[in-house]
Amino acid sequence: MDDLLALDAVTMRFGGLTAVNGLSMGVTRGTIHALIGPNGAGKSTVFNCVSRIYRPTEGRIRFDGRDVTGLPAHAMAGLGIARTFQNLELFNELTVLENVMLGAYSRHETRLIERLWPRSPKTRAWAEEILEGTGLKDCRDAKANGLDFGRQKLLEVARALALSPTLLLLDEPAAGLRSREIERLDTILTGLNRERGITVLLVEHVMQLVMSISDRITVLSFGEKIAEGTPEAVRGDPRVIEAYLGTKQPGEAAHGEAAHG
Amino acid sequence: MSVRVLAAVAVLLIGLSLALPALATGYVVYIGNLLLVFVVLSLGLHIVIGEAGQFSLAHAAFYGIGIYTAALSSKVLGLPFLAALLAGGLLAALCGLAIGILSLRMRDIYLALSTFAFGEAMQWVFLNWTPVTGGPNGLAIPPAQVLGQPILSDKAAFPIVAGVTLVVVALVAGLHASGLGRAFRAVRESEVAAAAVGIDVRRTKLLAFTLSAFLAGAAGGLFTTFSTFIHPDSLGFQTTILVLTMIVVGGVGSVTGALGGAIVFGLVSELLRQVPSYQEMIYGGILILVMMYAPRGVFTLVGRR
Repeated sequence: MDDLLALDAVTMRFGGLTAVNGLSMGVTRGTIHALIGPNGAGKSTVFNCVSRIYRPTEGRIRFDGRDVTGLPAHAMAGLGIARTFQNLELFNELTVLENVMLGAYSRHETRLIERLWPRSPKTRAWAEEILEGTGLKDCRDAKANGLDFGRQKLLEVARALALSPTLLLLDEPAAGLRSREIERLDTILTGLNRERGITVLLVEHVMQLVMSISDRITVLSFGEKIAEGTPEAVRGDPRVIEAYLGTKQPGEAAHGEAAHG
Repeated sequence: MSVRVLAAVAVLLIGLSLALPALATGYVVYIGNLLLVFVVLSLGLHIVIGEAGQFSLAHAAFYGIGIYTAALSSKVLGLPFLAALLAGGLLAALCGLAIGILSLRMRDIYLALSTFAFGEAMQWVFLNWTPVTGGPNGLAIPPAQVLGQPILSDKAAFPIVAGVTLVVVALVAGLHASGLGRAFRAVRESEVAAAAVGIDVRRTKLLAFTLSAFLAGAAGGLFTTFSTFIHPDSLGFQTTILVLTMIVVGGVGSVTGALGGAIVFGLVSELLRQVPSYQEMIYGGILILVMMYAPRGVFTLVGRR
């Protein structure tokens, strides 16, 4: 019952295209919840609705019991919702440190005087701590666009963490990462969830990561929820296998293959 | 701009205030005053373009609003210098806020063209609102009043201009280093990411336009301390482009760049007055060379961060 985030019949239409259709789901406080589905299933659209980049055509979104459907995008950070972006939205020309300091803007730098004062020792110390924890300390003075891809992805996560989120929305954090980097991400996320109790909603294609860290998985296909449950339950669900592999061979072979993938 | 560079600028400006009026000719001091006005103009344009990344090509209009407002509030209302300067800054800021609303609806080249159109319209107002601005005859600017004393020469004005410029440099450098400065740059780099970390993008853009216009208006107020005359011809697009060139040559996004660009390019522009037929060509040549060999500006090497 203790849903930190609750979507109630959320529908998002773009012109004639229905990207998300009547989706209801809850993310339980303190869990890692994954949102998976084939390409174009509407996962990122759900994310953009929750982080208020899109305003859902229909339905309500509740965070911590409060209706946030009508709030502007920038108000979400103050509530404790942080996000990362699938296609990297870093502050490219700014340093790694500045990127992370900006992550703390709405939670650690809230008083006007703190924002206007030319020095921000508190924010800076907090950002250094985040950099230490994510292993980005060595490149803190480099520009964000000077980092390699793996570190840029990590910086997205670091900036989101600087907000001290209650809910962390991760949009394909592992896409394009090498397996060692994925293992590191796995460690960081599991650690955050266990030690700081951060609730995570994750969109991800890399099943290795999804299956290992998720407490619960929601599967979308063509904008609708087709399955929900623990990784084990979802892995064996025939509708999920069908959505990923097609309907032609509902037999044993397809079943086994999906379980390995 | 590092604290060290800021301290050097302070020492230089205080030193010049003491030495220049005693040692140099009136013309040289006039150039000094003019350069400092350009410094304030550049720092104003730096806030909206360099920090917040919004194209504004109406800077000369805000400058003009500042000049006319300061001159007239001194002439008609008898306001002392600082009050007249603030009046010029505030009225320009109000117009800047109005123009900033455009930036909420459009971006890049569209925003550039709209602000350009506003600048042109304002020049037309300066030129045709004869009862107020004197129209094509220009406007005689009364001497500024400081502590009840009229400022009658460039030499008398220089310490005041230098003092105000120093305050503006320190404030803009402070803004750059502050959380608000970072928020401006965040909006420049990515609006969606800025919103995701909790920055109100619309309010931040409006603030950048307002502050930028305020500084342009204040630069106009400074101009009235040493100049006795203003004509709309000097408040057109060429002036905006001159200031834009200053911040680009100095290095977009850098406070030191805006300051250095204003001094160096202001001097070049003044020297080129001797050879008016080559002026535009040499401008163009410098700009092309800088864009080719130092696209991040010639001053960013000195005072990065």
